[in-house]
Amino acid sequence: MNAKGFVSLALRNRFVMVPLVLTIVIGGWNAYISLHSDGIVQGRVVTTDGAPVAGANVHIMEQNFTTNSERGKVVTGADGRFLITDNRSHNIQLRADKAGMGRSEQQVVRLFFRAQNVTLDAPLVLPALPR
Amino acid sequence: MSVRRRPGIAPARRYSHWPIHIALLLVSFCMMVPFYWVLKTSLTGENIFVYPPSLWPVAPHLFYYVDVWYYIPFARYLLNSVIVSGLAIVANVVFNAMAAYALTKHFRGRGLIITLLLSCMMIPFQTTIVPAYLITGKLGLLNSYLGLALPTFSTIVCIFVYKASFDAVPRSLIDAARIDGLSELQIIMKIMIPLSTSAVATNVILSFIWSWNNFLWPLIVVRDPQMQTLPLGLSRFLTYHENTTGALYAFCIMVLLPGIVLFLLAQKEFIRGLTSGATKG
Repeated sequence: MNAKGFVSLALRNRFVMVPLVLTIVIGGWNAYISLHSDGIVQGRVVTTDGAPVAGANVHIMEQNFTTNSERGKVVTGADGRFLITDNRSHNIQLRADKAGMGRSEQQVVRLFFRAQNVTLDAPLVLPALPR
Repeated sequence: MSVRRRPGIAPARRYSHWPIHIALLLVSFCMMVPFYWVLKTSLTGENIFVYPPSLWPVAPHLFYYVDVWYYIPFARYLLNSVIVSGLAIVANVVFNAMAAYALTKHFRGRGLIITLLLSCMMIPFQTTIVPAYLITGKLGLLNSYLGLALPTFSTIVCIFVYKASFDAVPRSLIDAARIDGLSELQIIMKIMIPLSTSAVATNVILSFIWSWNNFLWPLIVVRDPQMQTLPLGLSRFLTYHENTTGALYAFCIMVLLPGIVLFLLAQKEFIRGLTSGATKG
C-alpha cells in the first residue's frame, strides 16, 4: 500500500477521524481565544431617556464561587462610553453611578473564556437625570 | 417486480418486532431520562427541587461549563485522569493478554489457577485496600501516577475475555508461527492480539471506565491536590459552595463525556468482544 492509500484508509477510520476532528476543533478554539483575550470590555452608560452620561463611574466586579470583589473602576467619556482594558475574569458584574443620578442595576456579564473582548449590547442605565 | 418466495420457508410477518421495539424504547427512555435531566440542569442551572419542573431547558447556556473550567483546576484533573487511565489501558492490554495466553496452554494446575482467579473475582476491592495501600507505600508509589494506576493494571474479567478470544485462534496457526521461529511473546503480540481486536476493544473500554471512575483508591493514595483525578475533583467541587447546581451538573457531564465518546467509538468491537466466547463451538 502506498502513502496515499494509507492516508485515505486512515481518514475513513473513525478511530483516526474523531481524534483528528477533536484536535482541530480544540486547536481552532484555542487560537480564537489567544486572538480575542485582551481583557477589553466596552459599553455605554445612559439615562432612562437614552441620553449618554459623561463622567459616570463604572465599577467592575469579579464574581467567584464565594466572593464578588471589586476590581476597579473607569469613567465614561463625553459620549457616555467606557472602556475597561484589564479584565481578567470570565464572570464579571458592572455597575455605574454618578453623583446626583443614582446608580444603575448591577449587570452580570458572562464570558466564554477569561479576558474575552466584549462590547455590551445593553447599556448601563442611570435612573435619574441631573437636576 | 415479482418476489419469489423460497419453498419451505414461511414468510416473515411484518411488524412482528413492534412490541419488542416499543418495550425497548420504553426501557431506553427510562434509562435516558436521568442523563437528559443532568444535561438539562447543566445548561439551565434549574434548582432540582423546583416544582413543577420544566421538561424542556429554559434559556439554556454554556456558562456553567466555563465556570467549571476556570473555578477549579479542571484541566489538571483531566490530565491526571488521562495519564492514569492511559497507564491502566496499556498495562491491561499487555498483562491480561499474557495471562490469558498462558491459560490457553495445558499445564498442571491450570484448573486450580482458573478457579483461584474466578474466586478472586468475588472479593471486593474494599477488603484488600489496606494491603494494597501498604504494598504501594513499600514500593514508594504513593502520590504518583503509577501508584494511582497500579491496582487496575490487570482485571480478571478481561483475562477471561482474552482467553475466550485466544481459544478461538486455530492451534495450527500458533504452531506455524512457532515453526517460523517466533517466541511466545511474539506470538502474543503478532498473532493473538491482532486476531483479537474485539477483546482488545472490550478491555480498553472496561479498563478505561473502571480507571476513569475510580474514586476510593485515588482518595487514599493521593495527598497532593495537584495529583487529584476527576472523581476526586468532583468531590472537592461539592465542598466549595452549596449553590452550584448548574456547575455541578456541568462537571458531571464533562467527566462522563470522554467515556461516552470512547464507548460510542468502539461499541461494535466491545459487544463483539463480550460475546465472542459465547458462539465458540
